Amino acid sequence: MANIKELKKQIKSTKSTLKITSAMKLVSASKLARAQQAITNSRPYSEELETTIKTISALVNDYNHEYLVENKENNRTLLLVISANKGLCGGYNSQLAKEVRKFIAGSDLDIKVNFIGRKVRDLIKNEVNVGKSYTFEKGDATFAEVQTIANELGAMFKQGEIGRVLVAFNKFNSAISFTPTIRQVLPMSLDQSEKAELKEKFPFDFKYDPSPSEILDSLIPEAYITSMFTSLLDGVAAEHGSRMVAMDNATGNCKDAIKTLTIKMNKLRQAAITTELIEVVSGAESLNG
Amino acid sequence: MKQFTVDVLTPSRAVARNIPAQALLIPTSRGQINVLPDHTHVVTQLSTGMLSIFGGADDPDRHFTVTHGICKVLEDKIVILSNTSEEQHEIDLDRATRALKFAEDKLANEALDEEDHLKFHRKAERAKLRIQFAKEQKNRK
Repeated sequence: MANIKELKKQIKSTKSTLKITSAMKLVSASKLARAQQAITNSRPYSEELETTIKTISALVNDYNHEYLVENKENNRTLLLVISANKGLCGGYNSQLAKEVRKFIAGSDLDIKVNFIGRKVRDLIKNEVNVGKSYTFEKGDATFAEVQTIANELGAMFKQGEIGRVLVAFNKFNSAISFTPTIRQVLPMSLDQSEKAELKEKFPFDFKYDPSPSEILDSLIPEAYITSMFTSLLDGVAAEHGSRMVAMDNATGNCKDAIKTLTIKMNKLRQAAITTELIEVVSGAESLNG
Repeated sequence: MKQFTVDVLTPSRAVARNIPAQALLIPTSRGQINVLPDHTHVVTQLSTGMLSIFGGADDPDRHFTVTHGICKVLEDKIVILSNTSEEQHEIDLDRATRALKFAEDKLANEALDEEDHLKFHRKAERAKLRIQFAKEQKNRK
């Protein structure tokens, strides 16, 4: 049976864990707010960019950019996995790892995996063809840093070194939920039916300056980089949300544990006092007797 | 008088949304253009410069810096997509001065490849624009 001293020790250590988890929860909550802000800030730009590209490319005939060309014979694929550098965030990393594993097992492409964030790499490095890992100066990547990575992958794609670029990340739904997602960023695909619809919606053409193909030439790489950047922002927000929830649960569990331990300790203490009292009383009785 | 609305968007934030305007001066790669209500539909490339939005009698005039990007005029809605942009009062003069010095040093003293040369050239351009812009505002006060 556990003695009182041991229980006291356990309560003390649980209390310090409680302090850590509740502090981490608060930190994640404020980081989540910032990450959410970043998403809402960048969304109008990326949406507007996407519609503009779709509209222009629907109205302009015979335009083709390198980023739009699909090469069916080229099986080599690059998968960029965006995960966290730190653990303690619930199922964030393991669920993404599971999704990546499933995807790789179910496809017949020749997949090489690059990583942002250490955790998923550690989980699956023995099962997949591991490529490069990227790290950033500060914790979170800036737009310029994402641009560098995107340009590097884009150049590989242009040279035909790889046939497609995919991004795996946790899509941020709300503070308490995310979905592991794998999305193709290169080649970009434009839906044919959507094209026809847009054509009907805009019976006129724009005036372009310079030519529409030049404008698309500059917009398409921009859209590609932006789509990568938003995936990363999604990942970051989902990470903080997931950590916040995990730490909230942990805080609750700590409180429960402290409660049961305290009750146990008090019962033991009372039992000890009762036995002592009985001993004293019965000793006195025997002297009187 | 007829009005239209303007959005100024960058990848990191929406600088301004739904600003009412009666006239607009846009720096494009082939010189400045003026947009008035009922303008034809236009998509043009922006160059680094000053974007002025004139609100007319009821609304204030607003000025923004814009860099590389595009501008889309569609009916009464104008969208400016720029790599960076800030409104006049947001400019930090000290920072811009430092950035200009840094970029000019790089351009003058180091052997740069084409990509970096373009990068620092743009940086210097941006900084010059900001400095000019901030000084203008001071003079107005």
